[in-house]
Amino acid sequence: FSPLMSVVRHSVVTLPTPVNISTWWNFGSLLGVCLAIQIFSGLVLSLHFTAHTDLSFYVVIQSFGDVYYNWWFRALHANGASFFFIGLYLHIARGMYYGSYVFKEVWSVGVVILLLVMASAFLGYVLPWGQMSFWGATVITSLFSALPVIGSDVVIWLWGGFSVDNATLTRFFGLHFLLPFTVAGLAGLHLFFLHDQGSSNPLGVSSDFNKVVFHHYYVLKDLVGACFFVGPLLALVYFNPWLLGDPENFIEGNPLVTPHHIQPEWYFLFAYAILRAVPNKLGGVVALGVAVLILLYMPFSPRTSIKGLSFYPWGKVMFFSLIGVFILLTWAGAKPVEEPYVVVSQVLSFLYFSYFLLIGPLTRIQDKLL
Amino acid sequence: MRPSFLLRKEFGNLAVIRGTVKYHLSPLEQRAFAGAISQGVPNIFWRFRQSFFYVVPPMLLSYLVYYTAEMEHDRLQRKQPGQFDHEK
Repeated sequence: FSPLMSVVRHSVVTLPTPVNISTWWNFGSLLGVCLAIQIFSGLVLSLHFTAHTDLSFYVVIQSFGDVYYNWWFRALHANGASFFFIGLYLHIARGMYYGSYVFKEVWSVGVVILLLVMASAFLGYVLPWGQMSFWGATVITSLFSALPVIGSDVVIWLWGGFSVDNATLTRFFGLHFLLPFTVAGLAGLHLFFLHDQGSSNPLGVSSDFNKVVFHHYYVLKDLVGACFFVGPLLALVYFNPWLLGDPENFIEGNPLVTPHHIQPEWYFLFAYAILRAVPNKLGGVVALGVAVLILLYMPFSPRTSIKGLSFYPWGKVMFFSLIGVFILLTWAGAKPVEEPYVVVSQVLSFLYFSYFLLIGPLTRIQDKLL
Repeated sequence: MRPSFLLRKEFGNLAVIRGTVKYHLSPLEQRAFAGAISQGVPNIFWRFRQSFFYVVPPMLLSYLVYYTAEMEHDRLQRKQPGQFDHEK
């Protein structure tokens, strides 16, 4: 075999894999499927897209009627992004619950992938040039003006002018096209580091004595998982493609008319709630960044005797409380800045950060007591 | 040719086990889905019961927070008795 085929064979055919990994271990391959769907559908859409403020909005709408099946590719790409984030959040939740973050390199590359996918999704949402595209871009890029000294210059540099305009749209299109390929490369690196030690398993103990070949056991299991994942995606594409969208984005972007409720897509709402919870602009921006970057702290939190939370009852209660907090933050991010949503967002943001700081020490207390 | 980094964790190089004898049947000598329904379905209910009190209370609490916040917001959107008495 050639070296490349040898690498492929050792990664997906003869790879020693634990016998007992559950459905939660399907999300890695599902994210790979999502990335492939997004790249393929994005390439097709890019054939008929023009990145210009006068044209983008109308080109997107007109292509539905004029280009065969372009409506399908657009609905697949838009909903594919939502499913990408569903997979990402469940994949990260698996990592947090089962202590996968002990694989420091794998975890760190994963956080970088998360950041790039978030950036890619933000850039892509601007391209149709609807009201929410324009104003979402304005709000988020303006956050950089909070940086001391250089803030306003950075924002003008990002915009390519003195406001979000044509220069911004064209560079956003270029970056949105480029980033997924960077993500694909990083996904390869993610797998490279993972295969150094092999996959973890739900018990949190070494499974070196009890492994099977990846093909065909987990090729089939991943295929089944893909069917269960792509099925609902296609259901949305065919039956309710705008369920997760914002109606405001069916109005062309207008810098003179501000929408009543500027809000990002659902997958950014938890971070949006944390951003708005802090009354200070720079503080809010820092909180927004830390909300995602705090994941990098996990490998350095105090270690427990047994990997993961499976055998730590209070740890499990805290974990599912975090899930509840995350869902509530997503809900709060869509609400207007009125009481009681303001104080609720602030309390939830506090609880969100508290989890990451307390889970290690509190689970170690159980180790010491037993 | 196999790159050296691939020699770390492969079959034949995974773990050293002493004093343990493993027996197994050939896949060709057994039913592939033995007990999938008779044991698998009760196992679903067992696994549900084991995780119920870890998952449901936090979710219930979250729902209560959501419900209370929505009720409070609706209340604050209404005029309150005595709210405009100072304007009389």
